[in-house]
Amino acid sequence: MSRTIRPMILAALLTLFWISGGFAETPDYKIGMVTPTLSASEDEFRGAVLVANKYPGMIKHLVLPDNYSEEQETAITQILSLGDDPQIKAIVICAGYSGILPAIEKIKKKRPEMIVITAPIWDDPDMMVKYIDLSLDTDWVQRGITIPTKAKDMGAKTFIHYSFPTHMAKEVLAKRRDKMKETCAKIGVTFVEISTPDPTTGGGRSPMLQFLQEDIPRQISKYGKDTAIFGTNCPMQDVIIAKALELKFIMPEQCCPTPTQGFPAAMGLEITEKDAGNFAKINEQIKAKAAATGTTGRLSTWPVAVGYFFPEFAARLAMLKLDGKLPSFELAAIEPVAREVAGVDVRFSPMKPGLSNYFLIIMDSIIY
Amino acid sequence: MKLRLSIQLPQLIVLAFLIVMMGLAFHLHISLTFLISDALIRLVMNGILVLSLVPMLNAGIGINYGLPVAITAGLLGLCLAVNFRITGLLGFSAALLFAVPLAAIFGYGYARILNWVKGREEITAIFIGFSFVPLMNFFWAVAPFSNPAMLWPIGGKGLRPTIGLRDYFSKELNTIWDFHLFGLTVPVGLLLFFALCCLAVWIFFKTRTGIAMIALGENEAYAKLAGLNISHLRILAVILSTVLGAIGICVYAQSYGFIELYDAPQMMAFPAASAILLGGSAGKRTTLLHVVLGTFLFQTTYLISGPIANEILVPEVAEIFRMMITNGIILYALMHEGKMKRGGYAAY
Repeated sequence: MSRTIRPMILAALLTLFWISGGFAETPDYKIGMVTPTLSASEDEFRGAVLVANKYPGMIKHLVLPDNYSEEQETAITQILSLGDDPQIKAIVICAGYSGILPAIEKIKKKRPEMIVITAPIWDDPDMMVKYIDLSLDTDWVQRGITIPTKAKDMGAKTFIHYSFPTHMAKEVLAKRRDKMKETCAKIGVTFVEISTPDPTTGGGRSPMLQFLQEDIPRQISKYGKDTAIFGTNCPMQDVIIAKALELKFIMPEQCCPTPTQGFPAAMGLEITEKDAGNFAKINEQIKAKAAATGTTGRLSTWPVAVGYFFPEFAARLAMLKLDGKLPSFELAAIEPVAREVAGVDVRFSPMKPGLSNYFLIIMDSIIY
Repeated sequence: MKLRLSIQLPQLIVLAFLIVMMGLAFHLHISLTFLISDALIRLVMNGILVLSLVPMLNAGIGINYGLPVAITAGLLGLCLAVNFRITGLLGFSAALLFAVPLAAIFGYGYARILNWVKGREEITAIFIGFSFVPLMNFFWAVAPFSNPAMLWPIGGKGLRPTIGLRDYFSKELNTIWDFHLFGLTVPVGLLLFFALCCLAVWIFFKTRTGIAMIALGENEAYAKLAGLNISHLRILAVILSTVLGAIGICVYAQSYGFIELYDAPQMMAFPAASAILLGGSAGKRTTLLHVVLGTFLFQTTYLISGPIANEILVPEVAEIFRMMITNGIILYALMHEGKMKRGGYAAY
């Protein structure tokens, strides 16, 4: 009897020792990361996967429903489930959707010590600063000045803004449009606003893309080649860039500035598995294709995907804070971390004067 | 051959709307040549997808709301052709060649499910489409395609949501024998291809099997008494619809210039259904005239309302009209289905 029990006790002790050893190696907390699905937005999804691979066992990656606008309740339940896990000490949400704040509010009421970083979500800013420890976003409104200015530098005489009612009902996007209009008037560029079929209603994105296919040649024949075209919706970029290669107009920046949006499909970029995610290589390829199609100097974007940068940056900040290495989310504290993660300079500015937990970023441009 | 086209209320409304729009476009100096050229392209781009509804409608199975199944087969064919880097007209033909057998296989499985749920085909088809699309989303994300022009630019594995056809067979069919006349572009090759597809369907419904299928659609009990193999005919109709749908998306994609994967096929059945109902299909007997008239009216209304609404600064109105037409026509057809059943007007 004892002969069988002894090895069993030994095995049990060994297992216990192994388990406790295993726990001692990784910190005792986890970070919940929330992103859209791969097909909805590759950048954020891959950004979160990158973080999960870098810090194995520390990241719980949740994916929001593909059809977010119709399944908001599912999204809220998913995010709330993170608050129920005692091991999770911080939540990073990189989704670019509105309607997520109620979930954060509930979690914060239940667990006030939970660190929540959003990069970005689009809810009411005044409410966001109340409940979210650090809100990050691209400087959408400021881009209303930078994009037309860049377009003018690239030679634009006319600036066309394609959007649809659902987008123009969003405060930041409408504000950016107004800024663009203002800036265009200031620098002497004709501003043209065109509404496309709404992709969020009924027929999906096909009617919108079909409209763009037919309308862009019409506008270029009316305003000429020195026209900059800007679309506010991600799927639009494939068509806009493809048409830019054909009609040689100016594409100053996409809605989400990154070399990985629009360019790969429109230019048929062949990105091997080895080069995937290597932005320097992707930029080189775009430059070569632009030269081959005679569009050098007509296309521009930011050199690194913001959506890919945000998840890692936000997760790093959360970890540093939990490890006690970051006293606060003040600008002076987070700026060096941004430079380290992005590899290029990132400019921050507070969302409103005086705010110390809602920052907007702008990166430098690359003109192909 | 009797060719009767009874104009119903929806066609009248849309036709009147279209005429007013045309007049407005002329008044606002919107280039009509651009509009007409685009209308011709749109007719064929969507026409074959609408045509694909005919076999199932005529066999009495109802509207093929499971069109995403057919579209997926076509997308697979397109992806295979791009993966093997086959370009030009050959590439487009290869896409069709890959798509057709795949569509036949998908269609068979789809038909077996529809035979199970006889009597509730339309609602079942909607959900088959809705559940098939997410399943395929998973497939697209992990499928072992190897052409780097198709893969995710950051992850390096799985297919991108949109794959550009510029270097493969974009607009290949649109540009065959196309000619310009007073600034108008007439895509002869594209129109011929559509005519050929219509002709094939017309010939099919002249054969014994085709006539049997129509008989089945008109009166199933009678068809059974006549000794027709009903389950076999229904399976054949679904396979035919699926194969046509797959060809339809191949034509659509080459004209659009991109392959759209993931959620893109999900809602594509609805505009096609609205178009055929707008054409006057009574649900029992559907003719090629319904297909052409419906697609033309439906797509041209979309086409014209956008630029005009932008010109007169009420863009939201275009959106409201679009939604009203898409959904209103389906509603109208459902309401009047019983009434319209008797008016059999065959153009075959």
